[in-house]
Amino acid sequence: MPIEFKKNLVVFKGVVPVEDAEVLLECLQTNSAVKVDLSDCTHLHCANLQVLMAAKPNVTAWPGDKEFCTWLKSALAINAV
Amino acid sequence: MSPLLQQFLSEARDFLEGIGQKLMQLENAPTDVGLMTELFRFMHTLKGISGLFDFPEMTRVLHAGEDLLDAVRNDRIQYSQTLADRLLNAMDFVGMLCDEVEATGNIGATYASDSVRLTESLRDLMYSVVNENTASQHYLHLESKTTGMAAQLLPTPPIGLKHVPELVRMKAYQQTKAGQPVYWLRYTPIEECFFQGEDPFFQVRQTPELLWGNIIARESWPRLANMDAYRCQLNFRLLTGASKATLEDHFRFILEQIIIEPVAHLFFIIPTGDPCGGPVYEDFVGVALGFLATNNLTELTQAAKTMLELSCPDLWLSSALRWLLLVLENESDNHAALTAIVESLRSLNPPNWLDIQAQCLSSTSSSQPEPVHGLVENNLSNVQSAEHAEAIKSLLTTQRDILLLPITEPWQIGRMKAVSNVLSGCLRATGELEQLSNLALASEQSIAQGIATPLFDWLEQTFFLGTSIASNDLGQTSGDHDSSATSKAPSIPEGLVNTEPRPIPEVDNELKFGRRAEDSATDPKSLKVDQAKIDRLMSLIGEMVVSKNALPYLAVRAETVYGVRDLSREIKAQYDVINRIAEEMQDAIMQVRMMPVSFVFQRFPRLVRDISRKLDKDVNLVLEGEHTEADKNIIDSLGDPLIHIVRNSLDHGFELPDVRRASGKPTAGTLTIRAKQESDRVIIEIIDDGKGIDPEVVKRKAYEKGILDEASLEKISDEDAVNLIFVAGFSTVEVISDLSGRGVGMDVVRTAVEKVNGSIALESEKGKGTHIRLSLPLSMAVTNVIIIESNDQVLGVPMDSVVETVRIPRAQIRTIKHSFATVLRGCIVPLKSINALLSIDAQPQVNDDELAILVVRMGDESVGLIVDNFRETIEIILKPMTGVLANIPAYAGSALMGDGSVLLVLNVKELLQCP
Repeated sequence: MPIEFKKNLVVFKGVVPVEDAEVLLECLQTNSAVKVDLSDCTHLHCANLQVLMAAKPNVTAWPGDKEFCTWLKSALAINAV
Repeated sequence: MSPLLQQFLSEARDFLEGIGQKLMQLENAPTDVGLMTELFRFMHTLKGISGLFDFPEMTRVLHAGEDLLDAVRNDRIQYSQTLADRLLNAMDFVGMLCDEVEATGNIGATYASDSVRLTESLRDLMYSVVNENTASQHYLHLESKTTGMAAQLLPTPPIGLKHVPELVRMKAYQQTKAGQPVYWLRYTPIEECFFQGEDPFFQVRQTPELLWGNIIARESWPRLANMDAYRCQLNFRLLTGASKATLEDHFRFILEQIIIEPVAHLFFIIPTGDPCGGPVYEDFVGVALGFLATNNLTELTQAAKTMLELSCPDLWLSSALRWLLLVLENESDNHAALTAIVESLRSLNPPNWLDIQAQCLSSTSSSQPEPVHGLVENNLSNVQSAEHAEAIKSLLTTQRDILLLPITEPWQIGRMKAVSNVLSGCLRATGELEQLSNLALASEQSIAQGIATPLFDWLEQTFFLGTSIASNDLGQTSGDHDSSATSKAPSIPEGLVNTEPRPIPEVDNELKFGRRAEDSATDPKSLKVDQAKIDRLMSLIGEMVVSKNALPYLAVRAETVYGVRDLSREIKAQYDVINRIAEEMQDAIMQVRMMPVSFVFQRFPRLVRDISRKLDKDVNLVLEGEHTEADKNIIDSLGDPLIHIVRNSLDHGFELPDVRRASGKPTAGTLTIRAKQESDRVIIEIIDDGKGIDPEVVKRKAYEKGILDEASLEKISDEDAVNLIFVAGFSTVEVISDLSGRGVGMDVVRTAVEKVNGSIALESEKGKGTHIRLSLPLSMAVTNVIIIESNDQVLGVPMDSVVETVRIPRAQIRTIKHSFATVLRGCIVPLKSINALLSIDAQPQVNDDELAILVVRMGDESVGLIVDNFRETIEIILKPMTGVLANIPAYAGSALMGDGSVLLVLNVKELLQCP
């Protein structure tokens, strides 16, 4: 499972496929205090990304991949219109 | 290749043919709604089925074609020749792709850019056809043409460029300055893209030579509870150093969702940071401008460096200084740019590169700027600024009028985008850059809500209430807008929509399924069958017809040999039933094989149009009797000869319009192709009203080529001379063109026609035109022959060459020298003995002092064949001679008779030509 749901923490691992977006959205809808750990993530499907962008959870750890990290940081930081 | 793909290819070709045909018909009747609807349906269906396969290049072009036709169908744009040209061109491209798919199984990436080019040419039409006269077209051309270096550079800097980190922009600046263009790429995935298996994020991460990229939400996020994770709400903006071709290849499946724009190097110069200045900079600006004026660049560099060391690096001013240094390092001769940066230190506004772009371009695009050239440019830009206010005023008025138009259809939202683009251009041109963000906000609200109000309000507030620009020279002119706007603007508004290069309309997705259901209702109830199967069925029926003919013989034997008369009668009764069914079967299979000549005719409108345009001739094509039917083999054999004849007519027959006018004919020539049925033959006539064939020229040429000797040159009639053009190797044209002149044409035509038992006749009157008449059998499957006897042998003669059968008293046969002849209804008919022709050593049999004469047609004359006796005519399946016998031209073939015997069928024409 590329997404692991722990108590108040969602851990992303490897490549997160499109199917997980729905579960992720559900989780973020029900629990607003949830944080995300992206340290082992190598790619997020666009659908997951936009869920994160919309929900704006706290990120406890950013991905190791520098280029990917830049993408995510800019996307999750500039969250405005 | 899968059967599905095979079927697709065959259907696609049919559709393409149909589309081409409909376009031709529309050319004559551009207002025909029925034709238009049919054309649209063809295009729509073809696009639909192409979507089943992974051919984005093909589907994209078809989609654009469909949109275009939809616009024509709904009277949004007019049908025009340009439109037909482009559509035909696009359909040719699709045909080419079909060939490619058939040959290799897929479409090579090399076609992607062609496909986009064609798509754009079609889409352009949707926006430009309406307003061919407006100046905005110039603008469109500037954007769409990507040839010249100057034209490649974007007229306005991309919005959002300032979000790119300074370091990246500096790198991009240097790269662009070094002559390697950097592209700004906007990617707007369609909302449903996740369902098509796309991952836009992955796609952009893989972009070659990515310099920078960012992801933004299209609109503010909805409440999380209402969010749909599977509707893509993201836009991407990338800066990449890869070539345009590489980018197009990378995004080849979604080319219509991206916009690639090259960025001029100066646009990268946007100082960013904390805008907190001090009076000390005022001094610096003064000093720096002094250095610039005296061209003391070393001092300027020094001063800038010192200044930079003294300032906090996060300041806006430090950023500007860094840019100043970079520009000094890279293009120290570009004073305009340097001055602009220094000036910006005072104003704390980013330099307005648009104003100085023209100058900079002229001085930077060539490494050694010519002073004279620069001067001219300067003057030009002055002139422009004088006219600036006027232009902007009219632009703004027009935009306001556009926004006032009602929005009834989804695509019209594209107007908003266009207006927003124009307005942002105006803001830049006037230097009102701080208004840009407000504009962006207003336009996004407008687009999201689907109404023009927010944008309109913003426009009213900003310009027409005189808050910001009123202080400029625009203010005084905006006062009289309200009175003059409505009367002035009407012709311009929609033209300005052009300024949006590709406002990709959201095609009404939910409607598609409805339309498809509509299509299925009109499906023709026909079946596609391989021709080999029909051929087999036909030969089986042929066998059946022959074997049924054995029954009468059996009946005779039952009576004479076995003496059972009742049985004989019953066999005969049964035979009648079988005979009737067999004849019906034969008739039915003939019907299956029958095809209308329109199958061949339909390619002529395009052919005539293309060739006549190429030759600058004006030719109207008239097709008659397209529904005349004939056997498929005949129709197939008709195609090439007809094309040759038509080409010849167009190339040699018709004169140029001027010549025609001079000789008192209408400038437009008329080419008539007429088909009709005459008893069991199809007659095809090709009539032109061109200059006709000059027998003298033909005679001279024939003599030059050694086709005629001097003696026959004297006595040959004009009519015969004209027919010499059918002789092999004859050509009257000195120069071989790609159309005709190789001297094979008419000879090939005659051979092809005679191969299917047809004949060709030509009449031509000098100055009046040419009339060619092809006569072909309706069907080749069953041949009617008359059976004749000669020296106790039974022979068949095809009925199509027989004129009549007569019995003539021996006394009426005259001998002229060594030949026989008789007079039949006032005409002399030469007589030949069949025995003599076949080298049978016997005299013709005489019945009651009368001779049996079979009169046959031989070209235009009749010849009498003296035979022993006539018998009945029968229908046979003629099989050509094979093997060793194939070389005997006197026989057309053989056939099996009902009693099992073999009938030899004569080829009368060949027989009589034997010396």
